[in-house]
Amino acid sequence: MLSTAKTRIAAILAVLGIVGGAVAVPAVARHHHHHHHHRGIPQNNGGDHDADNNGGPSDGDGLI
Amino acid sequence: MNTTRSKPVTGLLTLAAILVAALALSACGSGMNGESPEHEIDEASSHAPVQPAPKDPHAFAWLRPAGAPDGWRSSELPNGTARMAYPPGWSPIQTDPGTVTSALRDHDGEIRGYLNATPQQGSETLVDWARFRPDHNADEGDVDLRPIAAASNLRFRSGRGSCLIEDYRTSSDHFYREIACIVAGAEATTVIVGAAPPDEWQRQAPAIERAISSFLT
Repeated sequence: MLSTAKTRIAAILAVLGIVGGAVAVPAVARHHHHHHHHRGIPQNNGGDHDADNNGGPSDGDGLI
Repeated sequence: MNTTRSKPVTGLLTLAAILVAALALSACGSGMNGESPEHEIDEASSHAPVQPAPKDPHAFAWLRPAGAPDGWRSSELPNGTARMAYPPGWSPIQTDPGTVTSALRDHDGEIRGYLNATPQQGSETLVDWARFRPDHNADEGDVDLRPIAAASNLRFRSGRGSCLIEDYRTSSDHFYREIACIVAGAEATTVIVGAAPPDEWQRQAPAIERAISSFLT
């Protein structure tokens, strides 16, 4: 019986580990999404001539 | 015997079930109702937290939707969804594809006044504008951000919008005050920004405010 109890405890800990890992993944995915919008003006020297790079104010683009 | 020995195990199973349920609910809640998890993004941003601009509708009492004064010129967005007027003496300058920008420069080429219109393209919305814009400027490298005032549900010529006023210093060490508005028109949502150096603000603000008041999208 003791062996059965240990087995069950191990199974519980394994389940908790899996669930914990599953919860952590979306947080990383959300952050990734933040920096990769898929429409609009090309950024990061891909066509963005942000004035603040040349002494001017920030323009109205909503992308990084 | 069996019942006595299995009690701790049963208790652990119950505890595990509660923990699993709590974790599952926590995971679901973070993406519920399609809300943007921007607060989580802030935590992941590389810059220090930026306070949203405080609500102060009185700071936008100058916003009186009307056509541009005689003698002003205007630029239309390449996609045809907005038109931005600018005063005499100002000129269109190099700008991002798909946007329009006009500026007033001094003899040294320094920008003394600035107007830009850009189609909505990121995750900015009228609802979160007071928080989005300062945070976005910080993302682009601006520092010393000082959000001064914000208001929403403001009336424009062709729709409603949200605006804010803030001071900041660019990554190239230039100081500016800006009025930045996001305006939802019938067919498009567009951002218009007016800016000037702090020492020029009193002189340029009336023209910038007039340009924003005449903005069409």
